[in-house]
Amino acid sequence: MTTGPIRAGIMPIVSEGSVADAKIGVRLASRLPARTDDSDLRELTSLAVQGDRGAIESLLGELRPRVVRYCRARLGRVAGQYHIADDVAQEVCIAVLSALPRYRDMGRPFASFVFGIASHKVADALRSSVRSAVPTQDLPDGPDDGPGPEETVVRYIEVEYARRLLARLPDTQRELLLMRVVSGLSAEETGNVLGMSPGAVRVAQHRALARLRQMAELESA
Amino acid sequence: MTPEEESDALLDALARGEPPGCGDPAARLLAVLLEDVTGLAELAELAELGQRRSSVSMTPST
Repeated sequence: MTTGPIRAGIMPIVSEGSVADAKIGVRLASRLPARTDDSDLRELTSLAVQGDRGAIESLLGELRPRVVRYCRARLGRVAGQYHIADDVAQEVCIAVLSALPRYRDMGRPFASFVFGIASHKVADALRSSVRSAVPTQDLPDGPDDGPGPEETVVRYIEVEYARRLLARLPDTQRELLLMRVVSGLSAEETGNVLGMSPGAVRVAQHRALARLRQMAELESA
Repeated sequence: MTPEEESDALLDALARGEPPGCGDPAARLLAVLLEDVTGLAELAELAELGQRRSSVSMTPST
């Protein structure tokens, strides 16, 4: 005999948090395209290195959103916008395109090569203390289909909280989590970028998650 | 499954955009950040890029 809440006739408790978490999943699932299979990506890379224009475009189409997300996660917003992070992401893509003819497949995943470049570009941007004025968007001419002001503020607070706690992690742990979740790199690919074995990545990311969990629990206590 | 394997599976699921599990603040923080950096503006930008591809050569110089 089961004692589960549904079988026992008790309605499961659905908290506001669980509904919000489900909403995040639904929104993300519609925005994140399915990742190209690793073997397809390898073949695409091989064709792109040979100068196949279609392969280059497909490769860029696959990697660019992941590079944009990584740069945004590392650099954050300036004056409420992601202009600087997106500019850096564009620089990464240009650098990848420039380096493509010289790329040789030595068994290292191409994504690791790309995010090695991205990591350096982001570090350069972080070192640069001069940040130019950010142009504001033109005033909207029509109705705004985005979230309302209340939802925007709640999301902003949540994101800033996430950034604040992530910033308190050691550099390698933070980089690991961002590469795994935001860039969608595998443990192997992440290890290639950071010079770690896949096993070491799995241990370190487990510790990073535990530490992040502990910090969040302490803050909410 | 070891705790390390569980964490690995959790990060894979978050990267695919799956909702964070209830009661895991670390997973929720990462999901919130991922959602923020996967903004709608980016999608519009990507659509624009797709249109530009038809008229601009993306082939690198050799």
